[in-house]
Amino acid sequence: MTQIALGWKSKSMARWRAIGGVPVLTLVLILAIVLGTAIGATNISPLYTAQIILNATHLVHIPQQWDAVDSIIILQLRLPRVLGAALIGAALGASGTLFQGLLRNPLADPLLLGTSSGAALGVTIVFLSPSLFVISWAGFSLAALMAFIGALVAVALVYRLATRRGQTPVVTLLLAGVAVSAILTAFQTLLVSLSTRLGLRLNDLYGWISGNVAVGTWQQVGVLTTLVALGLVAAIAVAPILDAFALGEEMAAYVGVRVEAAKLGIVILAALLVAAAVAGSGLVGFVGLVAPHLCRMAFGPRHRLLLPTAALAGAIFVVLADLIARSIVAPAELPLGVVTALVGGPFFIWLLGRAGTAYRW
Amino acid sequence: MMQPYQSATTDDPLALECVELRYHYAVGSRADASAALRGVNLRVAAGEMVGLLGPNGAGKSTLIKVITGTLAAREGVARLWGDEVRRLPREEIARRAAVVPQDFTVQFAYTVRQVVGLGRMAHTGALHIPRKADHAAIAAALVATNLTDFADRVYNELSGGERQRVLVALALAQHARLILLDEPTAHLDIHHQIAVLELLRTLNREQGLTIVAALHDLNLAARFFPRLVLLDRTVIADGPPTTVLDAALISRVYATPVRVGILRGEAHLSVLPPGERAPDLTPSTPVAHIIAGGGAGELLMRALADAGLGFTAGPLNIGDSDQVLAERLGATCLLEPPFAPVSPAGLAAARELIRRSGRVIIAPIALGHGNVALLEIALMALHEGAAVWILLDADQADTTGEAREDAMQSALAARDFSGKGLAGYQALIAAGARIAAQPGEIVAALTLE
Repeated sequence: MTQIALGWKSKSMARWRAIGGVPVLTLVLILAIVLGTAIGATNISPLYTAQIILNATHLVHIPQQWDAVDSIIILQLRLPRVLGAALIGAALGASGTLFQGLLRNPLADPLLLGTSSGAALGVTIVFLSPSLFVISWAGFSLAALMAFIGALVAVALVYRLATRRGQTPVVTLLLAGVAVSAILTAFQTLLVSLSTRLGLRLNDLYGWISGNVAVGTWQQVGVLTTLVALGLVAAIAVAPILDAFALGEEMAAYVGVRVEAAKLGIVILAALLVAAAVAGSGLVGFVGLVAPHLCRMAFGPRHRLLLPTAALAGAIFVVLADLIARSIVAPAELPLGVVTALVGGPFFIWLLGRAGTAYRW
Repeated sequence: MMQPYQSATTDDPLALECVELRYHYAVGSRADASAALRGVNLRVAAGEMVGLLGPNGAGKSTLIKVITGTLAAREGVARLWGDEVRRLPREEIARRAAVVPQDFTVQFAYTVRQVVGLGRMAHTGALHIPRKADHAAIAAALVATNLTDFADRVYNELSGGERQRVLVALALAQHARLILLDEPTAHLDIHHQIAVLELLRTLNREQGLTIVAALHDLNLAARFFPRLVLLDRTVIADGPPTTVLDAALISRVYATPVRVGILRGEAHLSVLPPGERAPDLTPSTPVAHIIAGGGAGELLMRALADAGLGFTAGPLNIGDSDQVLAERLGATCLLEPPFAPVSPAGLAAARELIRRSGRVIIAPIALGHGNVALLEIALMALHEGAAVWILLDADQADTTGEAREDAMQSALAARDFSGKGLAGYQALIAAGARIAAQPGEIVAALTLE
């Protein structure tokens, strides 16, 4: 009887989670965004913050009870950054899920296949020539654009190297990723150590690489939103293919998946999402590794549900981490990557311990 | 090499057809040295259940991969339900042939229902949104494999046998009419091996699914598969177990001496490693009298001896191969001088032996004026209450119904030099003689009685 009752309970729990996951996480994300926007150099009441944001949507009109400056601070200064953080987190969460599913590796991280070192090399090249700093596009600095390009080029290189006769074995992909990362990092270190001109900007470069939300304008938010939204929609569309990949590539082919085409498509999607995140914030580790794991613990392994929830969880995580990074030693800022690792790491370890053997790969 | 097995086909396309299929793995090496498949010819009709045998490295798995297009044949053609595999898109191949691999675990904690649901990949279109029909197919696959109670369990936490059933359910959900299995029982204990094979047989019989299974266990293959294909990079033998499980052939292909026979109490052939001591030839009480001659009774006598069943035989001419064998197997044998016709005394003695055991088996002997009287004493014995078996020629074993009657008549005509044989057989059959296509059937029936 107990067995049956437990079975029923866990089954209904699973159903509830499947239905409730996305709405609940969306709600939490909205609250995190409001909180992140409200807290800063001058604290603004979260209630007012919410009202200001609601008014800005033009869907409702709430009589103004707040200082007009607050409205400008919220809408022009803070909200773009917080939304940028959310988009970066969503991109990292989704791309981490894509990579873990594709590579069938629990350690897979969005920065794995050369993306981090490619982006870092790209940024270093920009930092070497100060004259390039004037160039920007859609609010993104040349450094951000070079990070985007560097990440994509690195993944393309890794994929090309790992492909033989139309086949790209996952293990080769991982090994090529490690090798290309090492080579690109070596190049970057070489550039830094040979350059006499880097000087004081070395700190800036290091700060950039260790990650900070560098999204400050609505134009940037628009570009990121387009990229991330397209990437997410496409990722959710191909999600069941990742489920099939869990059976192994051979079995995936037997159930009707065009394995090589699917692999290439998923790598392109994941690389675009990572590149978007890297362009927006530099190298923020840990989010893309942890968000998929957390959501798999909570919602199970099916990628149709895992991808949107991991994206939402990543968004919540980065919004809150960014809030901590810029408020804990205000007016200075901590690198975002440091906060995600220092806060996220212990939390993840605690969760793993709590889940114990119940968290099954 | 033996003749390709001819099955009772209709005009429908074959479920599977391989024509001179060649494949080799290493590129640049001498093709034939590394050839995994050296010209495989195979035809499997809809509704067949075929066991694919062969030692490690014989190309069984490679063949399955080439058939499903996951490996491209270097030469030759593979067809699924009439169409060339290389021209079919991957989804269509998945709808035509499902593959059940060896038991494996999946990445992440998917439930049984979710794993089985992956069988619908080829049916849910580009966006993979499941509809009612998909949920129904999954539910039906779970029911057919008796997994409904396991549906919400985590796949990786099941036992090997249960996981194998899930993989069969996955293949069923795929709604392919052909199921290819790559050593589905390799990691299972004997209980679960049998359970999986029984499930396959049920699916074959009740749902009409065509099944081709690569197998390691020759004994289970003999027990569950009416047709076996012995593969060693090409088709070495193709036919019913009695044909394919030939001791000499198996010993050669597997490079291990084996014995093939029917164990006491069993209905199917068994393949055994050679024993340390010679088989026990002490005959038990005779259970039947055999009318043989000219080697026609060889398979039958060996099968009886292997099953530990004693028999009597004769009258046989001294020096006749059946006489020599019967003596070697320790059977009481009635003798006639070489080349002499059966004597009245011999006939009387045979009637006495039949009376004692209550059964007579007529091997497919050549009938002449000298021995056609044996059919008459069999008929007399039948009227006296003895059981009479007629053993068909080996090449009629896989015919049925009218085809069998025709084949029987033409085979009989070829070995009846007395002109009375047909009438004799017809009288026997009319009086209730039983017909056996293979020695195994008789052995099985005698053991059960």
